[in-house]
Amino acid sequence: MTESADSHHLPPKSTVKRWLVTTDHKDIGVLYILTSIFTLVLAGTLALLIRAQMWTSGGLILNGLGYNQVVSAHGLLMVFWFLSPFAFGLANYFVPLQIGADDLAFPRLNALSYWVYLFSIVLFGVSFFQGATFSGGWTMYAPLNVPTVDASSVTQIGGFAAILALTMFVTSVTLGSVNFLTTIYRQRAKGLRMRDIPLFSISILLTVWMMLFAFAALLAALVILSAEHLIGTVYFASDSGGSVLWTHLWWFFGHPEVYIVFFPALGLLGEIVQTFSGRRLVGRKWFVIALALVAIQSFIVWMHHMFLTTINLPIKTVFMVTTIGISLPFDLMVFALIYTMVKGRIRWKTPFLFALGALVIFIIGGITGVFLGAILLDYSFRGTYWVTAHFHYAMASAAVAIIGGIYYWFPKITGKMYNEFLGKAHFVAAFVGFNMLYFPMFVVWETPRRVFVYDTGLTLWHRVATLGAAIFAASFLLMFYNLVKSMYSDRDVTDSPWAYTGSMEWAVSSPPPEENFPGTPSYASGSLEFLDRSATDGGAVADGDAATDGGAVADATTAAAQPADHASWWPFLIGFSTLLTGIGLSGISGPYFVWPFLFTLPVFIAYLGIKGAQHDGFALIHGAYLTASFPLLALLLVLFDADHGFMTGLGEASNYFYITIVGTVLGAMTLIGMGYESFNVPEPKLAEQWPFGEVESTKLGMWTFIGSDIILFGALIGSYVFARFNFGWHEWWEAAEVHKATWPGLANTYILLASSFTIVLALVYAKRQDKRKTLGFLSLTFVGASVFMLNKSIEWIELFWHEGWTFNTDLMASTYYLTTGMHAAHVLVGMLIMLFLIARTYTGAYMGEEESQTIEYFGLYWHFVDIVWLFLFPVFYIL
Amino acid sequence: MASIKTYTTIFGVLMAFSTVQFVFEFSGLLEDNYGPIMAVILVLSVLKAMAVAGWYMHIIEEPRSITYIALAGVLGVIALTVGATYSIS
Ligand code: HEM
Ligand SMILES: [Cu+2]
Repeated sequence: MTESADSHHLPPKSTVKRWLVTTDHKDIGVLYILTSIFTLVLAGTLALLIRAQMWTSGGLILNGLGYNQVVSAHGLLMVFWFLSPFAFGLANYFVPLQIGADDLAFPRLNALSYWVYLFSIVLFGVSFFQGATFSGGWTMYAPLNVPTVDASSVTQIGGFAAILALTMFVTSVTLGSVNFLTTIYRQRAKGLRMRDIPLFSISILLTVWMMLFAFAALLAALVILSAEHLIGTVYFASDSGGSVLWTHLWWFFGHPEVYIVFFPALGLLGEIVQTFSGRRLVGRKWFVIALALVAIQSFIVWMHHMFLTTINLPIKTVFMVTTIGISLPFDLMVFALIYTMVKGRIRWKTPFLFALGALVIFIIGGITGVFLGAILLDYSFRGTYWVTAHFHYAMASAAVAIIGGIYYWFPKITGKMYNEFLGKAHFVAAFVGFNMLYFPMFVVWETPRRVFVYDTGLTLWHRVATLGAAIFAASFLLMFYNLVKSMYSDRDVTDSPWAYTGSMEWAVSSPPPEENFPGTPSYASGSLEFLDRSATDGGAVADGDAATDGGAVADATTAAAQPADHASWWPFLIGFSTLLTGIGLSGISGPYFVWPFLFTLPVFIAYLGIKGAQHDGFALIHGAYLTASFPLLALLLVLFDADHGFMTGLGEASNYFYITIVGTVLGAMTLIGMGYESFNVPEPKLAEQWPFGEVESTKLGMWTFIGSDIILFGALIGSYVFARFNFGWHEWWEAAEVHKATWPGLANTYILLASSFTIVLALVYAKRQDKRKTLGFLSLTFVGASVFMLNKSIEWIELFWHEGWTFNTDLMASTYYLTTGMHAAHVLVGMLIMLFLIARTYTGAYMGEEESQTIEYFGLYWHFVDIVWLFLFPVFYIL
Repeated sequence: MASIKTYTTIFGVLMAFSTVQFVFEFSGLLEDNYGPIMAVILVLSVLKAMAVAGWYMHIIEEPRSITYIALAGVLGVIALTVGATYSIS
C-alpha cells in the first residue's frame, strides 16, 4: 500500500484540495448546487439573448445559425445540466440526513458522478468554440443531428462535442441512480420503513428509478448517434423510418425525463407545505401511491410527442388515453397539497411562498398540457409557442419549487438564517417576472417555435415577455445577494429554525457534523434516538435481526477500528480523463477512431502490473503483464502501420487524435488507481433494509446497473426490430449484400456459454478457498473471451473487407455492426476486469465465503453479457 | 450456491438448446415455416436466459425484489419495442 492512512482524511474546507478530493455527500451536494447555479446563469444568459432577439420580428442581434445555437444550447443546458443537478445537489445533501445514513452507499462513485457532470459542462462549453455548437434544437431530431445531412457544416465538430457532453452527463446520471437506489434501500435508520421515509427522499427514490431506465434509453440513442458521427452508420439518416426511430428513442426517454425533473420538486412541495402549514400532508399515503403510479405510467405516454409524425391513428389514440390517464394522479397530488394548506395554519415564510407559487404555475402548466394531449388540438398547437409556454410553466415550476427548497434548507446547510424581507422580495419579483414572461406566450401562441419571425401584430406581447424575462433574471440577483450576505451574518440558527418539522435532518446541528449524526440514528423505539455507536455495533449482533452472521461480527469490530475514508483523488482524475476523451473524439476522423482505444490496451495491462506490484507485492503475474504489454504494443503498431502507414498516419492525424490518446490512457491509469485504492466504507450495522436485506450493497448496485444495461441493449435490439419491420422483415437479408454468419455465430455462442460456466466454477472454488482452481477457471474464462473476440474479428474482417460490407453500406450492416459491436465492447471490458481479478487472485485475494464476493459480482456482469448474446445470436445470425 | 453437478447440467442444456436453434436454420425448417419456428427459437432463447439468470446469477436464491428489477427492465424494453414497431404497422 502506498497511500498513508491519513491521505484519506479531509483537508479543511478553506483549501482547494478539500473540494477536489472530497467524497463526503454534503460537500458534493454543495458542489452540485453551486455548479448547477452556474449553469442556470449561463443558460439564463442565453435565454435573455433569445428574448432580445424576439424584441422585433426578424431579430435584433443574432443571425440564423447564432439563434439556432442559442435556442438549442439554452434548452439542453436548462433541462439536463441545470434542473436535475440542482435537485440532486439537495438530494446529495439531504437524502442521507433524512434516512439516517452516514453517506451514500458508494462515496467515491458519488464523487465520480459529480466530476463527470462538471467536466461534461466544460465539454459543452468547449463546443461553442469549435466553430459552432449543436444547433438542431434540444430534442436533437433526426436528420438534423447526423453528419451526413450537411457534412461541411460548421457545427460538425462542436455539434458532436455537445452530443458527447450529453453522453457524459448520462453516464454521470446512471452512476448516481445506482448509488441513490442502493443507499435508500440499504441504509435507512432502524425502524424507518420505506413508506415512512420523508417525502423528499421518496420523490428522489422514484426519480432515480425513472432515471435508471429512461437515461439508459437515451444512452442507446446517443450511442447510435455517436456511431453515425464516428463510423458512419446510417440509422437515423435512413429514409426508412430513421427520423421516426429517433423520436421514439428520444421520447421514450423524454417523457419520463419531464417527470424526472419534476418529481424532486413535488417532494419538496410536500416537505415545505407540511412544515409551513404545521401539519402532516393530508392523504400522504395516497400522495405517495400517486407518485409511484405516475413514475410507472410515465413510460407509456411518450407518443403524445409524436402526434404529427407518421405513426398510425390507433396508436395515437391509445397514447391520448394514457396521457389523460397520467394527469389523474397529478390532480390527486395537487389536491392533497392544497387541502393541507387549507386545513393547516400557514406561516408565510419565503420557502412557502415559492412552494405556493410553484404550485400555481404547475397547475397552469398541467392544464395546458392536457390540451396538447388531445390529438386534434395538438394538430394546431404543435410547433407553436403554446408548447413553449406549456413546458416552461411545467418545468420552471420545478425550478421555482427547488429555489423554495434552497431557502428552506439554507439555514441547515450554512447555520445562518437568510434575510426574510429580501427573500420575499425575490419571490414577488420572480413570480411577476415569470408570468410576464410566459403568459403572453399563450396569448401569441400562433408564433412558430424556434423561429424569430412572427406576425408583427404580436409585437407588443413579445415585448412584454422580453421585459418579463429581464425582471425574472434580475430577481435572482436579490437571491444571490441575500444568501451570500446572510452566510457572513450573525443570524445563527438552532437545529431547527422552523416551528414544525418532522424529518431527521432537523434533529442534528446546523450545519450538520462531519459524521452526520451524534450516534447511530434509530426509530426502533417509536421515536428518533441516537444510539451510542460502539454499543449499536454490538447490539445488532446481539438482537440478530439485521442481516448479521458470524462474518459481519468480525466486520463490525474491524470497522470500528478503521474509520470511514472521505478523500480520494481518483474521481476527479477519472472525470478529467473523460473530458479529454470527449474533446478528442469530437474532432477525430473516422479511420482513426479506434486506435486510441487500442493503443490504451497495452498501457492498461502494463499499469495493472505496476500498480499490482505496488499494492500486493511483486509477483510473477505482474512481471508477466508488464512483459506481455510490449509485444501487444508492437503488434498494434504493425497493424496501425498496415492501416495508415506509420509515419504518414501519425503525421496526418489531427490533434484530436492525440488528445483522445491522452484521455484514454489517463482514463485507464486512473481507473486502475481507483481499483487498487484501499477505501474503507463501513456497511451500516443497524439499518432497515427491506426489501433487500440479504443483498449486500455492491450486489444491489450491480443489479440496478444491470437493470439499466437491459434497457441499453434492449433499446438497441428494439431499434433493430423497428428498422427491420419497417423495411420488411422478410426482405431484410435478401436486400443485404451478404449472408448471415450463422456458423461463427454458433461457435461464439458455445464459447460464451462455456465461459459463463467456467466463471461459475471459479466462484465455487474461491468459496472453497482453492486458489489454484480459482485461478485456473478465471484464466479459462479469459481465454474463452479471447477466443470469442478472435472469432468475432475474423467474422467482421470477412464481412467488412472481403465482402466490402461496411458500416454505412446499408441499414442491415449498420444495425449488425453496432449491436454486436456494443456487445463485443462489453466483452472487452469484462476481459480487462478479469485481468485485474486474475492478478489479485494470484496474490491471494478473494479466497473464502466473504472475500469471493468480488468474483460473484463480476460473474453477474459476465453472465449478463452472455444473456445479451443469447438474444443477439438468433436475432442477428438465425432469423 | 447450487452444486457443480447442477451447474454442469445447466451448461449441457444451454449448449443443446443453442444447437437446436442452429439446426432449425441449417436444416431449412425455419425457411419453410418461418412464423412458428421463429417463435420456438425465441422461446428457446428466453429459456436459456432464464436458466443463466436463475442459476448462474442465482436469482432464485435472492429475494424476489432482485427479480423485479430485472423484470422492470425487460418490461421497458418490451413497451418500447412493441410500441414503436406497432406504431408504424
Ligand atoms: C399532466 C400533465 C402533462 C400533460 C398532459 C402534458 C402533455 C404534453 C404534450 C401532449 C406535449 C407535446 C406537445 C407538442 O409537442 O405538440 C407536451 C410537451 C412538453 N411537455 Fe408536457 N405535459 C404535462 C406535464 C408536463 C410536465 C410536468 C413537464 C415538465 C416538468 C412537461 C414538459 C414538457 C416539455 C418539455 C414539452 C416539450 C417538448 C418539446 O420540446 O417538444 N410537461 N406536454
Ligand atoms: Cu410528454
